[in-house]
Amino acid sequence: MLAVRAVLAGAMILCGILILARMLASLSAGFAVLSGVVLGAALIALGVHRLSLIARARRMM
Amino acid sequence: MARSTKGSGPELRRTVTPWGSFAWGYSDVGADIFVGLGLVLAWAAGASNVAFLFAGIVYVCIGLAYTELAATYPVAGGGQYFVMRGLGDIFGFIAGWAVLLDFTIDVTLFAWSSVDYSSQLLPALVNSIHPWLHFTVVLALVVGLCILNVIGVRESTAFNGFVSALDVISETCILCFGFLFAFRPQLLIHAMHFNWPSPYDLMLGTSLAIVSFVGLESISQAAQETQRPASIIPRTSVSLILTILIFALAYSNLALGLAPWHPIVDAAGHAQQFWQIFPHNADNQGKAVALLAAQVPYYGAFAALYVPVLGAVLLLISSNSGVFGSSRIAYAMSSSNLLPSIFQRVHGKYRTPTISIVFFSTIAIVELIFAAAPALHPSVGSLYAHFFHGENGLEFLADLYAFGAATSYSFVFLGLIALRLSDPLSPRKFKIPLNLPLHVRGERVEFPVIAVIGFIGIFSILMFTLRTHALGRIFGPSWLLLGLILYLVYRAYRRLPLLRSQQRNWRAAQVDILRRAGELELMDEYVANLKASDARRAAPRT
Repeated sequence: MLAVRAVLAGAMILCGILILARMLASLSAGFAVLSGVVLGAALIALGVHRLSLIARARRMM
Repeated sequence: MARSTKGSGPELRRTVTPWGSFAWGYSDVGADIFVGLGLVLAWAAGASNVAFLFAGIVYVCIGLAYTELAATYPVAGGGQYFVMRGLGDIFGFIAGWAVLLDFTIDVTLFAWSSVDYSSQLLPALVNSIHPWLHFTVVLALVVGLCILNVIGVRESTAFNGFVSALDVISETCILCFGFLFAFRPQLLIHAMHFNWPSPYDLMLGTSLAIVSFVGLESISQAAQETQRPASIIPRTSVSLILTILIFALAYSNLALGLAPWHPIVDAAGHAQQFWQIFPHNADNQGKAVALLAAQVPYYGAFAALYVPVLGAVLLLISSNSGVFGSSRIAYAMSSSNLLPSIFQRVHGKYRTPTISIVFFSTIAIVELIFAAAPALHPSVGSLYAHFFHGENGLEFLADLYAFGAATSYSFVFLGLIALRLSDPLSPRKFKIPLNLPLHVRGERVEFPVIAVIGFIGIFSILMFTLRTHALGRIFGPSWLLLGLILYLVYRAYRRLPLLRSQQRNWRAAQVDILRRAGELELMDEYVANLKASDARRAAPRT
């Protein structure tokens, strides 16, 4: 179960990095990318948070 | 209400697991996007994602503030308790009374929206076509939830968890299919460039966007029923805050850049973008997520069948949380002598706060009548059109919801700042980031910069609400004024200080809170902090 959760968290981080990279590549669009940048950053943050919880759970096992 | 009668008085059982705590919050806040998306798209148009971004950033600050406060003071009173402890009784009452407004609106708004989602599969329930049937069904739901809460039936944590898990999976699928097969960045940029709203509409849209992030009181309610809340609550809250933010930002961007699976045309036969079906269409505003799901390629064929049902169930759970949440807050306020003790009275047979439940459900019904009146009777409709910019029922409820949330959240930020300065000795296992170290009255304190940023943000939203919501700026302050009069009359009757606070022993209270929460290490740390502080203060005199 922990492995599945870790894969999902990894996928979240990957999605966040992809969105962030695409947004940063389209900076010429200006203000329009701001919401996407925050979305990408939030996905990475959630993924990292989930991974840290999984690591804590593994340490306690 | 889950209660046991150990010790001196009734007390909530601590049986909620980390997932249960997440699901509790998710079923409360997660349902908001089902209501908020359509309203924001209707007013903020091409700037909907910006409106959600602004409200979302403010919401993250509020969420972090609630997480710190709920982990430090794990009591069910929530915002009202934090503000009372930080700023005093009268401000605690105002914050609690604003939360009570939100809970009563929550009952009506989510029952209303639940019927709107059902109408996607049952066209007889469409408000604009059969307003009386729509009104009757919403009324029956509110009355039904009131009766269920009086006899003590509450949806179980397991059911909450199941629906929340289903919704997280469903929303993730909708977003994945939507972004993979239907999202066109050029449509998003086109909408933002050519359909940017007027400043008035942007303010209105932003104030409505906060509707998608209301319900953080559930964090403190979950804290009261979670074992070792100081450790568990920060873990689940951060996940909850980020999940809700991601869904809100993703939905608003997808809605603006969605190439519809089935062509959408207006009355003249011109092709429309997806978001354009929301302005001036209250029926569509009430079921935005179901409409969006149906327009997602491939997955939409399946989603069109189940999303209205899932949405209706999730919204009904949220509506129910308004019924028991209001009675619980009233109970807590009554325990602190902010409301008459009648709100603490428990039914002899059912062991539920019947008077409280019936009182606040009746207020919810009055709000429903105000919301439904323009659709039910043409003369009321023309009255609303003349004086209140023709607001529809959903907008009326969302107005008040935004007002109540912005008011109570503003006070919570002030309460957090005050508690950081006045109670630096309470151990804080979770602190919101970005703090300035200071020395106040001989103690080292950390001033929360994020709380100031959050306060500026939520206070701006409160100002937007007052500026742009024709009904909200009348009914919201009237609710607060009425509450203040009741508060002063009650305090005078009980011979309690009117504007000042009652004397309380917060030190003993905090030790008791930590002991009941099972946070014995934190309790020991707090007692040690107190002793060290007292020794420091006594030192110069000896």
